[in-house]
Amino acid sequence: MNTTESFEALRRANPRAQPGFAESVEAAAHAVRARMADGTAASEPQTSFPRRRLVCAVVAALLAAAAAVAALSTIGSRGAEDATAAVKKAASVTAASAERSGTAVVRITHDGKLWAGTTIRWHGDDLGVRSDAPSRRGRAGSELLVVDGIVYGLDPDAGGWVMQGKPENIDPGSGTTPDEYLAAVREDVGGVTLRRITASMTGLIKRPLDDGSTVYSGTVAAGLIARESGFKGGQAIRVLPFGLVAHDEAADPSAPLQAAITVGADGVIREIAVTWGSSEATWTYTVTYKRLGTTAAPEAPANARPLRDRSP
Amino acid sequence: MSDGERKRRFDALFASYSSDIVAYCSWRAPSASDAQDAVADVFLTAWRRLDELPRGDAARVWLYATARRVIANQRRSTRRRKALEERLAVEASVATSTDPEETLVHEALRRLGSADREVLLLAEWEGLSPAEIASVVGCLPVTARGRLHRARRRFRDGFEELSAATSELRVRRPRAAVEGGS
Repeated sequence: MNTTESFEALRRANPRAQPGFAESVEAAAHAVRARMADGTAASEPQTSFPRRRLVCAVVAALLAAAAAVAALSTIGSRGAEDATAAVKKAASVTAASAERSGTAVVRITHDGKLWAGTTIRWHGDDLGVRSDAPSRRGRAGSELLVVDGIVYGLDPDAGGWVMQGKPENIDPGSGTTPDEYLAAVREDVGGVTLRRITASMTGLIKRPLDDGSTVYSGTVAAGLIARESGFKGGQAIRVLPFGLVAHDEAADPSAPLQAAITVGADGVIREIAVTWGSSEATWTYTVTYKRLGTTAAPEAPANARPLRDRSP
Repeated sequence: MSDGERKRRFDALFASYSSDIVAYCSWRAPSASDAQDAVADVFLTAWRRLDELPRGDAARVWLYATARRVIANQRRSTRRRKALEERLAVEASVATSTDPEETLVHEALRRLGSADREVLLLAEWEGLSPAEIASVVGCLPVTARGRLHRARRRFRDGFEELSAATSELRVRRPRAAVEGGS
């Protein structure tokens, strides 16, 4: 038992990771939005509408919605409901498939050119994170492994693997600690991030593809995709899932971003694509899931040398 | 701010942070119905005071602080149930959880003081920084940082102690069964 285990257990007990949480949020969202949309609150609470009555109405709606999602049928069309249910189901199936192991290939392109990229593979508590964007000088090819609770990194100067020790014992000097970074990645490979994004998509449109997969397109607030996490260059930054820094509209939590989720014929999410920006400067962020449940465990590098060997 | 702008800003605020406030109220309020009540109250307060709301991530902190006050008011208004409610806020999860690890987590959380538990969960479950926690609970950042450090240490110690006790039980039980059967 170590610090990491106890805090990982605590993070796994987060209400967001509990079954039904996404449904609760969605029910709350629909209910409150319905009240706002029907003019009850929009035309406003202060004097024209007794506050307590409005609260009771909203609460009643919340309770009803939480008790039976079917009650939401008055809000949207049948098709939109089906799409919402299908995306939610795909998120649950994918999270279950990814529980044991998997690979996520993450890319950001800017005007069609690769801006940043990372490939993450996980197997149980072990992780491998490789930066593989060729244009990122000094970053391309960097790799981090966590095997049996020990972090291994590629030495950028001398090459070869360096055993860096336990993540909680690594002091990065400033910014996000390795422990925090790994905790965030583990949240992303689990169902928490996936459910948060899929549960928040609105205006869903369904488009079947020839290969049996289906694309669900909609809008999602940037704040639900890119969370504030740490500092870079003295500025607070927002970070997309799997640790890539958000730019432009994606860094504005209220900005609506276009999201498309491709669900395979087997019901598992194949890809999440999020786009923002103008036609002249479009950003595209994609997460492609591969080998869910069948990704091999990363192995500790046999020739890794202890960190202290780097000191002169 | 025009009505249209107000509506757009509220929609964006709700889309960005409703899941956070639902999650926070779910562990902070004494019951599911109180949590739902609190979520509605928080966003109605936000709507009424939209012009005063800070921009960016500070709005998220404002919503947490408002949720905290709303839940505190709920508790004050039902003072007779207070002791029971405070216990139930954590114990309800323990009672319904069938996951042994989750049960250990909730038991370790229950052992913490309420102030320690609050800062720990604001950090670990809500992802707030010490400065943001200070804004939510109304203390200095240095105080929040100190409380958080203490809470983390106490939680880790409690969890490890409970885990060790559970492991010991697991080891003992098979032996007791064999002895009892022979």
